[in-house]
Amino acid sequence: MGQPKSAVIRSDLDIVIARTMARDMARALGFSAIDQARIATAVSELARNIYLYAGTGTVTVREVEKLGRKGIEIVCEDQGPGIPDIDLVMQDGYTTSRGMGMGLPGARRLMDDFSIQSQVGVGTKIVLRKWRS
Amino acid sequence: MESLRIPILKIGDILIASIQVNLHDASAVQFKDDLLEKIHATRAKGVIIDLTALDLVDSFIGRLIADIAAMAGLMGSRVVITGLQPAVAITLVELGLELPRVITALNLEKGLSVLQGITAESGDGAA
Ligand SMILES: Nc1ncnc2c1ncn2[C@@H]1O[C@H](COP(=O)(O)OP(=O)(O)O)[C@@H](O)[C@H]1O
Ligand SMILES: [Mg+2]
Repeated sequence: MGQPKSAVIRSDLDIVIARTMARDMARALGFSAIDQARIATAVSELARNIYLYAGTGTVTVREVEKLGRKGIEIVCEDQGPGIPDIDLVMQDGYTTSRGMGMGLPGARRLMDDFSIQSQVGVGTKIVLRKWRS
Repeated sequence: MESLRIPILKIGDILIASIQVNLHDASAVQFKDDLLEKIHATRAKGVIIDLTALDLVDSFIGRLIADIAAMAGLMGSRVVITGLQPAVAITLVELGLELPRVITALNLEKGLSVLQGITAESGDGAA
């Protein structure tokens, strides 16, 4: 399996770098054009959240395998303010920044696996996976 | 870093912009401002934003497109989005953004005829 790749998010340019990195790995792993767009869009949403709400953090992409099935895993991590109510932020349209409130629920719909851990004052970690069909 | 400017062409009373870059947030916002100013300066009746070269529309860009359409509408100009790739259209809907108030057409040519239909219908140039 290939090496994991990481991008540090500090500016809006890093959002483009992170989503391009995820798309490139998805393409190399043989994901369809539609899945590449799903993966890159989910990463774009979560990288922007890091930039907007935590200021800085990292996005790491790697190849994973389960029961002989290949997939891609994306870990988005920050030491920002954390999320007090996860059920609330997972609702369509909920935003604290006059955004569209579709980033977290949308990323969950676009991917196969989505898990979120967050602690106020400590930070947020979101793990996404998509399996190749 | 300075944002990349997206060129905006004028043909008759229609503006055409083709988004060719891997857009980051600052250049997307710059594009919105440039386009609205150009609509005002030229009194364009219609705008085509061609997205053929765009490989992704996330909620930020989706929101921007919806805002441009709404703001241009207030200025009397209609916006048509063209060239959305199938993967991008599918992703947009799954993300939860359907952009219901944005007019879309398959390609530039169809976009132009949609706009010509709209501007003729609105009675411009009538005696
Ligand atoms: N990494 C994060 N750290 C802290 N809060 C976050 C983070 N990501 C998302 N949030 C919170 O969750 C809300 C919903 O996020 P999202 O669904 O992406 O919509 P939007 O970014 O448009 O507000 C945000 O408004 C913000 O309050
Ligand atoms: Mg967001």
